[in-house]
Amino acid sequence: MAWKMKDKYNINELCYSTLSSDNPNSYETYVSQGGYETWKKILRELPDKKEIINSVIESGLRGRGGAGFSTGRKWSFINQDSDAIKYLVCNADESEPGTCKDRDILRYNPHALIEGMLIASYAIGAETAYCYLRGEFIDDVYTSFKNALKDAYQNKLLGKNIFNTDICIELHDLIGAGAYIVGEETAMLESIEGKKGFPRYKPPFPAVKGLFGSPTIINNVETLASIPKIIGKGPDWFSSFGTKDSAGFKCFSVSGHVNNPGNFEIPLGTPFKTLLELAGGMKDGKKLKAVIPGGSSVPVVPGEVMLETDMDYESIAKSGSLLGSGAVIIMDEDTNMVEVIHRIARFYYSESCGQCTPCREGTGWMFKVIDKILKGKGTLDDLKTLESIPKMISGSTICALGDAAAMPVESFITHYKNEFLEYIKLPTEKLPNDKDFAEPINNEFILSRK
Amino acid sequence: MQENTKYNIPSEISSKISKWLAKFPIDQKKPAIIYALHLIQHESKYIRSEHVNAVADFLGLKKIDVYEVASFYSMFETEQVGKHTISVCTNVSCMLNGSDEILKYLEDKLKMKVGDSSEKYFLKDERECLAACCGAPMMQVNHKYYENLTKEKIDSIIDGLENER
Ligand SMILES: Cc1cc2nc3c(=O)[nH]c(=O)nc-3n(C[C@H](O)[C@H](O)[C@H](O)COP(=O)(O)O)c2cc1C
Ligand code: SF4
Ligand code: FES
Repeated sequence: MAWKMKDKYNINELCYSTLSSDNPNSYETYVSQGGYETWKKILRELPDKKEIINSVIESGLRGRGGAGFSTGRKWSFINQDSDAIKYLVCNADESEPGTCKDRDILRYNPHALIEGMLIASYAIGAETAYCYLRGEFIDDVYTSFKNALKDAYQNKLLGKNIFNTDICIELHDLIGAGAYIVGEETAMLESIEGKKGFPRYKPPFPAVKGLFGSPTIINNVETLASIPKIIGKGPDWFSSFGTKDSAGFKCFSVSGHVNNPGNFEIPLGTPFKTLLELAGGMKDGKKLKAVIPGGSSVPVVPGEVMLETDMDYESIAKSGSLLGSGAVIIMDEDTNMVEVIHRIARFYYSESCGQCTPCREGTGWMFKVIDKILKGKGTLDDLKTLESIPKMISGSTICALGDAAAMPVESFITHYKNEFLEYIKLPTEKLPNDKDFAEPINNEFILSRK
Repeated sequence: MQENTKYNIPSEISSKISKWLAKFPIDQKKPAIIYALHLIQHESKYIRSEHVNAVADFLGLKKIDVYEVASFYSMFETEQVGKHTISVCTNVSCMLNGSDEILKYLEDKLKMKVGDSSEKYFLKDERECLAACCGAPMMQVNHKYYENLTKEKIDSIIDGLENER
């Protein structure tokens, strides 16, 4: 099925380019597609580091881990004049609910990630790079990455004095042990240092003082795996796809109530409708009710708004949400929105590291109040309390988990308040899954902002 | 965590830990804690205080440094658990595809509640997203992925575990 789609749409051109082959993760497959040519060219020509960084800036590549910050600009924060040791860290902790795109890069195109990490290390002047995989990947995903790394070493593409140049880069695989918060970049640094994963205060930013106190750049798997072709084919090639502020391709994990859930790498700016079509359309011919377009940390968007939205950073922002990690969770007309936000709130409550009072307490309150409402014991005052908590968390915490917990709650109440009200009125036995819940509110408002 | 006999880190494990340390600056020993605990847990099924002490001694660290790691990360078990660890994801994408029902089916089949452990099975109460959302509902058994679960699939997976020698 996938190849047929490929003719029709521009899909899987970059990070998933090896998927069309029988042996996607092998060294041979990657090389047969021109893999490692960019790295070899760099080793031959030894271009100025700034040249590479400028190409990445020009390409318009934005971080694919969630925040969407310009990758080239992030790299440019490294002080190249200092002779301090520098590190590159690849964030392969993928644990944002709904997101499973990096796992497929690690399993099916690990060499693109390795080549990307080598180019990035060269550009920032790092001689040591770490790829930190979430602990639960310890079986097949980790093995796939480790085998690829072994092949790359065997082919002498990294290590000491690579291809008889002065360039030395060691790339190490690391494995975590289960903790969502370690996906936050400074918590990851703590974890690599062998401590519990508590996010650090910023500033100092990692580019100034990161791993083991040294300047460090942290990038997502997809971000780094995009680098070889951006440098190889040129920034103009990349920015010829996508939109002005959302250049290139993005991997979307489409899950939930669709016929053909999966990862699809498409040009940014592709209409949501097309993505939904790629994912086989709505399951059982049901109507689309709502979409979480960027992982469970972003606001929910009503279906009818989403159907008019394109999959790029600005369009999704205009629709009241964020592109985030690119995890697109599809919910049909029968979905009970109070149950969904209950599950999301439970997640953030259990994953908050507890360092900041607003996050620790706030995530707990939100979960408990939603739980009470879901059990049919909630009052209008509870709903008011619930509405007020996100505002108390947002902007007053060390890391973005606080906001990630607050935004969804706020948006579920905004769009689906009536469903909360139903719970507050009805006796418990009649619940849940009442299909006659009222239409989501506030859609006109959202649509009018477009 | 239970007290307390002395544990000697077997030489295969200690040599692996030493190799792992080579990934880090020479004065850094803590970065090997997570890996060391993985190796020991793999061998001993769960982390006991003598393991923590042995890792601390081996790396020249304080026991609290190792204990902190053992207790923070969800993959480390500090209580006795059964042979096969099963984690069913019930986060949003899986929930939308019937994971609650799958979990219930598994609970009934194994005659245990989530969080419980028998000698053979440990139905872990860690039900968060395992990055296989497009294969929902899903679970891991001993960190192996099983996706697009149905009741029949669960039957055959559990039968497989039952029939193993
Ligand atoms: C709570 C939390 C969890 C995160 N989890 C991940 C993750 O699993 N993977 C990831 O790449 N980035 C994650 N991030 C974002 C990282 O902090 C960081 O911004 C990212 O790795 C930078 O890479 P990029 O610029 O290439 O996107 C998370 C952030 C927060 C606040
Ligand atoms: S915002 Fe939450 S998760 Fe982040 S550091 Fe504070 S308590 Fe920890
Ligand atoms: S939501 Fe279940 S694996 Fe991601």
